Amino acid sequence: MSASGQRLTIGWLYSDLMNIYGDRGNIQTLVQRARWRGVEVRVLELGKGASEGIEAVDVFFFGGGQDKEQELVYDDLLETKAIRLANAMQRGAAFLAVCGGYQLLGHYYQTAQGERLPGIGLLDVRTVAGGQRCIGDVVIESDPGLGLQPRTLVGFENHSGRTYLGEGVRPLGRVRRGNGNNGEDGSEGAVSGNIFGTYLHGSLLPKNPHLTDLILSRALNRELDPLDDSLELAAHNWIKDRELSGSRRA
Amino acid sequence: MTPPRLLAAVLAGKAAGTASRLVGQGGGTTLPGLVASRIEPRTLALLAERLTAGSVLITGTNGKTTTSRLIASLLQGLPARVVANRAGANLVTGHTSAVLAGAGLTGRFRADWGVFEVDEATLPSAVAELKPRAVVVGNLFRDQLDRYGELEMLALTIERGLEALPEGATAVLNADDPRTAEIGYRLGERRGRLKILWYGLDDPAVAISELPHAADARTCPRCGSRLDFRQVYVGHDGDYTCPTGDFGRPERDLSATSVQLDGLDGVRFTVGGVQVGAALGGLYNAYNLLGAFATGTALGLKPGYMVERLGEVPAAFGRQERFLHQGRRFTLMLAKNPAGFNEILREAERLGGGRHFLLGLNDRIADGRDVSWIWDVDFELLGGDCAAETLIATGVRAYDLALRLKYAGLKATVEVDLNRALDRLLEAVPAGAEGFILCTYTAMLDVRALLVRRGSLRPYWRT
Repeated sequence: MSASGQRLTIGWLYSDLMNIYGDRGNIQTLVQRARWRGVEVRVLELGKGASEGIEAVDVFFFGGGQDKEQELVYDDLLETKAIRLANAMQRGAAFLAVCGGYQLLGHYYQTAQGERLPGIGLLDVRTVAGGQRCIGDVVIESDPGLGLQPRTLVGFENHSGRTYLGEGVRPLGRVRRGNGNNGEDGSEGAVSGNIFGTYLHGSLLPKNPHLTDLILSRALNRELDPLDDSLELAAHNWIKDRELSGSRRA
Repeated sequence: MTPPRLLAAVLAGKAAGTASRLVGQGGGTTLPGLVASRIEPRTLALLAERLTAGSVLITGTNGKTTTSRLIASLLQGLPARVVANRAGANLVTGHTSAVLAGAGLTGRFRADWGVFEVDEATLPSAVAELKPRAVVVGNLFRDQLDRYGELEMLALTIERGLEALPEGATAVLNADDPRTAEIGYRLGERRGRLKILWYGLDDPAVAISELPHAADARTCPRCGSRLDFRQVYVGHDGDYTCPTGDFGRPERDLSATSVQLDGLDGVRFTVGGVQVGAALGGLYNAYNLLGAFATGTALGLKPGYMVERLGEVPAAFGRQERFLHQGRRFTLMLAKNPAGFNEILREAERLGGGRHFLLGLNDRIADGRDVSWIWDVDFELLGGDCAAETLIATGVRAYDLALRLKYAGLKATVEVDLNRALDRLLEAVPAGAEGFILCTYTAMLDVRALLVRRGSLRPYWRT
C-alpha cells in the first residue's frame, strides 16, 4: 500500500476533457491540504487510453464535462478503465465524482429517447435525462453517518439528468436549498464506502474543507491534523447564510 | 411617413431614456428599448429598415465591446451617422434603445449605420430583425455556463444565426478559434452564396508554448481527437490541426504578422501590406483590432483610411480604462471568464509592473451565477514575476476569491464592500506605482459608478 501517510497519488480522470466547472479547484484543494500536512503528493492524469499507474492511486477524481466531451470519454472509460477502477475500490482507494463523472459511476444513463447507456456501476444509482436544467447554489445537510462538522456542504449545481439512489448507497446529504439528485426526494449525492458522488461543483472541495479532509483521511487511511480553516469556513458560511436566508440579489 | 404605433413607441422610448438619464440609472441603455417594444414589438426591425447603409453585428465571448467600438469609429469617420449599443447592452432591448437614439421626436430617422454587439445566444433573433451586411464572430470561450448551457449548443446557435444572413452578407470569422472555424466550415459547405472572410494571427514570436488551463476547445469539433497546437495566442486561439487530418485552421484572407505589444499602451501589426495600431494593450486586443479591420475590409473601406482612423480610438469603457489619483496611475479592466482573466494576468506579468491589485467578483446574473471558473484562472502568475504586493478581494463573492488565492499560495485581504476596498487600494499604491482593478461585469459597473462619483471617471453613457 502506498497510503503510508507520507505519499499520496491522486488519479485525475480525463483532466483535459472532464474539467468544465472549475474541477481543477478540487484537485488543487486535495493537493494543498495534503502538502500542508507534509504529505508528498503526485497527480496522475488519466486521459484517454491511459491506465498505467492506476494501481498506485489513493484517491480518484472524476469531474463533469460538456455533453460532447462526455461522449468522447465514454467508450474509453468502459474499455480501458472500468475494471481497474473496480479493483482500486476493492483495495480501499477513495473516489470523488462530480456531475458527469457521478452519472458515469452509476448503473446507467437513460437518454431522452429512452436509450440506456451503461455506466461502470461503482455506485448504486441510475440517471434519467430530465427536461429543465437544475441550476443554482445548493446547501445540503450532510448525512449524519459521515460525522462532518459543520454539518452543511455548499456548492453549485448545473445538470439536466435526474439521479435516483438504490439501496446500496446513502445520500451525501439532504437538500436545504437547490435541487440535488432529482429535485423530488430531497437527496443530494451518493456515498458508498470510500466512493463519493455529487452534483455539487463550485468548486466543491475548497469551500468544504471538512469533506476534503474526510476524503483525504480515507485515502491516506489515517487521521489528519487540523489546519487553520477560518477563510474556508468564512467562504462556506457566507454562501450558506445567504442561500438559507433567501436574500440573494439578482 | 411613420406609422402611428411606431411613432408612439419611439416617443415613449425616448421619454424613458431621458427620464432614466435624469435619475442616473445607467444612462438609459436598455429601458427605452423595453418601453418602445411593449408598444410596438417590431420597433427594432422597423427602425433598422430605415438605416441608409445597413447594420453590422459583433458577437463572440470576449472582445465584443471593443471590436464594436472600433467598427463604429471606422464608420463614423467616413463620415456617417452611426447608432450603436456602446455600453455593453447587448440584448434586444439594448439594440432597440440604440436605434431609438437615431430617431427624432417626429419619428424621422437619421442614421446610416447600426453597429451592434450581440449576445451570442441571441444572434439568430438579432439577424432576423436587423438583416446585417456583416457579422463578426470572434472567439468562443466558456463563459456563464449557467446561463447559456454549453459551448457546443452556443456554436450551433451562432451557426443558425449566420445561416439566416441575407444574400450578399459577409461572415467575418476568426480562423484561430477552433469552434468559430467549425461554424465557418459548416456554413461554407452548405451555403455557397454566403461570403466568408477569415482572419487570424501569424506571429510565433508572440505565442505561448502551451495551452493554458482555461483553454476550452482542446478537441477536434469533428472527431474529438485532441488538437495539436503549433502556436497558442489567446486561450485556445492559435494555429491548430487535428492529428487525424480532418480539421485544421482555415486559410486566412487577412493575416496579422509582426505583432508588436507595447504593454497596456498599445498593439501594432502588419496586415494586407499596411501597419495597423491602436492604443489598446494586450494580445487579445490584437484580435479585436484585426476583427475590426477585417470587417472594414468586408464593407469596402480603404486600408489607408482604416489605419489612420483606428490609430485614434481610445479604449472601450471599462474593458480597459485608466485614471489618475494623486499622481498614481490606475487601470480598470473587465475580467469575466478564465480566458479573459488569464490574458490580463499574463499582460500584468509581462509588464513586470503589476504589484497592486483589487480583484472584484460578483455572482449576479450578468456576471454568471456560478463562480467555479475562478479555479481555472492562473492566479499563480501573481506570485511569479508579478510578485504582487497588494491583493484585495472584493465583491459579493470576495471570500471565494480570497480562498482561490490562498490555494494559489497568495494572501489576500477580504473587503466585501467595494467602496472601502477601493479606498484600501488607493492607499496601498505608492507614488509613481500603478494599481490594477480587475472585476467581473457588475462589479466593474459598481466600481465605475464609485469612480464617477469621486470624479475620477466620466459616466459611461457619455464616453
